[in-house]
Amino acid sequence: MQRRSVLGLFGSLIATGVVPAGAASSRVFRINVVADPAQMDPITLSEITAGRILKNMYEGFTDVQPDGSVKRMLAESWETFPDRQAFRFHLHQGVKFHSGRPFTAKDVKYTLEAILAPDSKAGLAAPYLDTIVGAADVKSGKTKTLAGVTVVDDATIDITFTKLDVLFPIYPIYYMDSGTVAEQGPDWMSKVSAGTGPFVYKSWTRGVSVDLGANPAYWGGAPKIAGLSFLIVPNGDTALSQYDVGELDFVDVYPETFRRVLANKRYASQLIKVPRAQVSYLGMNQNLYTPFKDKRVRQALSLVIDRPAMIKGLYGGAAFPANGFVTAGVPGYQAGLPPLKYDPALAKALMKQAGYPNGKGLPQIDVTTTATFKDEAAYFADQFQRQLGMPTKPKIVERATHIKAMNAGQVALFPWGWTADYPDAMTFLGEMWYGSSPYNRSRWESADFDRIIDQARSTVNDEQRYALYHRAEDILLADWGGIPLPTTAVLGLRKPYVKNATLTPFGFSSFQDVTLG
Amino acid sequence: MAVAIVVTFLATRALPGDPIQVMLSDHSADLQLAARLRAEYGLNRPLVVQFRSYVVGLMRGDFGLSFRYVNTPVTQVLRESLLISPLLAFSAISLALPIGVFAGVQAAIRRNSAADAGIMLILIAGLSIPNFALATFLVYLLSVRLELLPVAGWGTFRDAVLPVAVLAIPSAAYVARLTRTFMLEVLDRDFVRTARAKGMRPRIVVYRHALLNALVPLSTSAGIIFGGLLSNTVVVETLFNIPGLGRLAIDSIFARDYPVAMAVVLLFTAFYALINLAVDVICAGIDPRIRANLAAS
Repeated sequence: MQRRSVLGLFGSLIATGVVPAGAASSRVFRINVVADPAQMDPITLSEITAGRILKNMYEGFTDVQPDGSVKRMLAESWETFPDRQAFRFHLHQGVKFHSGRPFTAKDVKYTLEAILAPDSKAGLAAPYLDTIVGAADVKSGKTKTLAGVTVVDDATIDITFTKLDVLFPIYPIYYMDSGTVAEQGPDWMSKVSAGTGPFVYKSWTRGVSVDLGANPAYWGGAPKIAGLSFLIVPNGDTALSQYDVGELDFVDVYPETFRRVLANKRYASQLIKVPRAQVSYLGMNQNLYTPFKDKRVRQALSLVIDRPAMIKGLYGGAAFPANGFVTAGVPGYQAGLPPLKYDPALAKALMKQAGYPNGKGLPQIDVTTTATFKDEAAYFADQFQRQLGMPTKPKIVERATHIKAMNAGQVALFPWGWTADYPDAMTFLGEMWYGSSPYNRSRWESADFDRIIDQARSTVNDEQRYALYHRAEDILLADWGGIPLPTTAVLGLRKPYVKNATLTPFGFSSFQDVTLG
Repeated sequence: MAVAIVVTFLATRALPGDPIQVMLSDHSADLQLAARLRAEYGLNRPLVVQFRSYVVGLMRGDFGLSFRYVNTPVTQVLRESLLISPLLAFSAISLALPIGVFAGVQAAIRRNSAADAGIMLILIAGLSIPNFALATFLVYLLSVRLELLPVAGWGTFRDAVLPVAVLAIPSAAYVARLTRTFMLEVLDRDFVRTARAKGMRPRIVVYRHALLNALVPLSTSAGIIFGGLLSNTVVVETLFNIPGLGRLAIDSIFARDYPVAMAVVLLFTAFYALINLAVDVICAGIDPRIRANLAAS
C-alpha cells in the first residue's frame, strides 16, 4: 500500500471512531440539519430546525419521551383549585441557568410576558398564552405585566386562565433567564444562551454549523460529551456520504433519500424508523361537492385506496399503516383500531346504493394539493376514476395559496396532513375536526364530537382525557369525516458507537445522555 | 443597476405565496398574528411606499431586515457568504482559463488529427455531463471510496478542491472549444501565413501572434463564462455544504425572504457589471487598436 493510502486509511479510521481520537468526553456529537435555524431564542421560535437546536439549550415544564410518555422537567408537579380556573406549578428546585443564576418563578413570568409583548415577533408559543387572564392587555401594549400570572414564591407560581387550559403543562414553552437581556443586550442570542438545558450556545457559523458546548452544571447531570455540532447540510445525498465517511455521527435522513436508505442492506442495523407525529388524511368538503354528503360515497373512496400498496410503492416502505386520526407515539393514540380495508367490489356496491352506479351522475372534481404530494394525488385520482368512475384528476397548486384556500373551506377534495404541535391528541382532534376550528378544512361537523372535545378540554386527568379522545375519534371514524392515510416515517441512521440518541415521532430525542464510543 | 432594483422588487412581489404565510406556515389561520407580523414587516403598506422606503434604505446601505431570520439585518445574513461565491468562481476560472486555452490551442494546431479528435471528445464530455452528476461521481470516487478528500464542508484548502474542480471542468471545456474556434479563424489569416513564410518559429507564430489575436474575443466570452459560473455555484454550494451566495439566493426565494433575495440579485448584478468592465479594460490592454479607438474618440 502506498503511504498516502495508509495515512488516509488511518485518518478515516479515526474519523469513524474505530480508533478513538481522544477521551470520550472531548468528543462532539455531529448531526445534520437541513438549513440554518431562523431563530436562536425561545421567544421568537417558530420553525422546526430552530426548535431542534434550541431543545438542547432550553427546557419547559415537561418534555415528551421517545415512547410518547410525558416527563416532568422544570415543573415537578402541579394542581388545580376547586374555585379557580388556575394551575399552581411547583418548580423543580436547584436548577440553574447557563449564566449561573437560579431558575425561579419570576423567570417563568418574565418569559410569558416576553412572548406576549407586542413587538416581540413572538413565534409558535404565543397562541398557547391567549387564555391567560390579562393576555390581551399585554398583547395590545396596555401593560407589560401579565395579570393572570402570580409569583407565590421562588418555587411556586400560579397561572390563572379565563377558562382552564388543561394542556398548559405540556405545551412546548421554553423558559429563559430574566436577567440576560439586561446583561447582554437585545442581541444576546448571538453571544450566549439563556436556558437551563444540558448544552450551551458556543458559536454559529452561518451556512456551516451551529455548535453547542456541554453544560457541566446541568441539573440533570453533566453531559458525557464535549458538545453538539449541528452541521448545515441542505442535500440528502451529501448527508449520507458524510455519514459513510464518518463526518456525521447521526443522520436525519431527508425524504428524497428514503428509498436509497431503506434499500441498502448496509444501513439496516443502524436504521431508526418511527412514525412521524404528523397525521395524513384525505379531506372531503361536503359543502362543495354534493355526493360527499352521502356517507356511503365517503366510505367508498376509502375502500379503493390500497394502503399496503401505497406504503410499499409510493413510500418505498417509509410509512406506517394508520387506522385513525391520531398517530402512534402521540399521547391519546388509540391502538387496536381495525385496519382500513381495500375492497373495490364493496366500494362499487356502495356507490350503486348511493345512486351513482359506475360513477354515473358524479360531477367533476379535482384532487387538489401541492407539488410535494403530487404522487398521492395522482394515485387517488387514478383509483377514483378507474374503480368508481368518478370524473377526477389531480390539481397541483402553490403551497401558500393552497393553505389559504383550505383555511377558507374552498377546497373540495384534498390529501393533506397536520403536524402535532404538542404531545397530546387534542392537537389533531381539536384543531382539525372540531366544528368551529379555523383549521377544520373539510368543514365536517358533529355536535356529539364537539361536545366530547369540549369535555376533554376541561379534563385534567390524562387517562380520562385520553378515553374521551378515543370516543371522539370513534365518532369521526364511524361517520367517515375524513379518510385516514398511511403515516410517513421519520428515518435516521446512527453509528454503532452512539448511545442514548434516537429519533422520536416529534424529532430528535434529548441528547443529554449521549455517549460516543 | 436601477433596472435590476425595480425588476427584482416587482418580481418578488409578483411571486405567488406570501412571506407572512411562509412565516406562519401551517398555522396561518391565526389572522391576528398574521396582521401583526404584516404590520411589523411593513407589508401592509402600498407597494409604492414599500418601494420608496426600500430605495431610501439602499442609499444608506441598509438592505432591511430578513423575513426569514428573525431580527437579523440582511447585511448580516449576507456578510459571511459575500466573498465565497466569487472566490469559488474566480478559483475555477483561474484553473479553467489556462487549461482550456492550452487544450484549445493544441487542438487547433493539430486540426483534424487524432489528437484533435481526442481532445474534442473530452471537451464535449466535459460540457455535456451535468455538474451535479459530475459532483456526485467525484465525491463517490474520491471522498467515499478512496477517502482522499472531505465529502463536504468549507474552511480548509482540501474542502475547496472538489467544488472548484466541478466548476472548472465544464468551464475549461467551454473555454477550450472557444479557443479552438477562434484560433482556427486566426490561423487562416494572411498575417499568420506571412509570419510562417518569413520563417518565424512555429511556437512564436502560434502563441505570440495568433493567440493574442484570439484573446480579444476570448476575453469577451470570459465575462460570460464568469456569469455562468456564478449561477453554477448554486448547485455546487448545495451539494458541498458551502455557505455561498448562490445557495442563499435559492433558499431565500423558496422561503419568500424578499429582502435577502433582492439583495443577492443586486449583488450578482453588480459583480457581473464589474466583470464586464474588467474584461473591457483587459481587451483594451491587449489590443492596441481598441486603445487607439478609445483615444481617438
